[in-house]
Amino acid sequence: MTLPVAARSIVSRGLATSAVALAGLAAVYVLALGFTPVEARQGLAQKIFYLHVPAAWSALLAFSLVGIASALYLWLLDPRLDRFAAASAEVGVAFSAVMLTTGPIWAKPIWGTWWTWDARLTLTLFLFFLFVGYLALRAAVQDPAERARFSAVVGILGMLLVPFVHLSVYLFRTLHPTPVVLKPSAPSLPPEMLRTLLISTLVFTVLYIGLVTVRYGIALAEEAREAPDAA
Amino acid sequence: MPPDNGGYMIAAYVVTAVILVGYALAMWRRARRAVGSD
Repeated sequence: MTLPVAARSIVSRGLATSAVALAGLAAVYVLALGFTPVEARQGLAQKIFYLHVPAAWSALLAFSLVGIASALYLWLLDPRLDRFAAASAEVGVAFSAVMLTTGPIWAKPIWGTWWTWDARLTLTLFLFFLFVGYLALRAAVQDPAERARFSAVVGILGMLLVPFVHLSVYLFRTLHPTPVVLKPSAPSLPPEMLRTLLISTLVFTVLYIGLVTVRYGIALAEEAREAPDAA
Repeated sequence: MPPDNGGYMIAAYVVTAVILVGYALAMWRRARRAVGSD
């Protein structure tokens, strides 16, 4: 059997993009640890921010795109949209894992506790479990059309949670800091710290694109293999 | 004088690298299996 050239090409492009992004991540480590000033009140723990915030950005971007692709799938019934939604959800869960581990590691020295059940943290954990459930649902349903339709509904519900996660620091009393960049006024960070944060966010976004591309190509290849059996 | 909490920073940077590099390697292996055994 010959796999579609497209799948092979997509996987290759995704792997190359991911490799570039991982090299970029190494550069971000050097930049954050060696060339960005230490914050006076929080000390070195503040540098966790250069990983936690970009991971949160990438996770929320991934879950928003799952919802948009899912809504478009229900409208157009294009399997490419379902494939993309599945890829974005899986990569989003990986970035959420980074967000949900680096957050408590920062919170312990700064807040004095690993975790608190306030609105931002609780909603973020709920969003993570919702998309783990999304992936479990996809694994459990065998029929491709049913799987795409059911998971699209869950994907849209997950996307609806994203604005609440972002705005929860304004809507509820919470320990979590308010945004320092994505807010109506100018970013409230010294230029060196803002530079490192923006570069890290760019690297995480490129990594998201690379990993989603690989995952999309894998799904395409697997479908091509399964298609003759299904016929 | 900033507080001495560098251990937490190191832990966070190690955990992030383990998750992201580990996931990327897992993806690479899955891609080889899906595309490579043609």
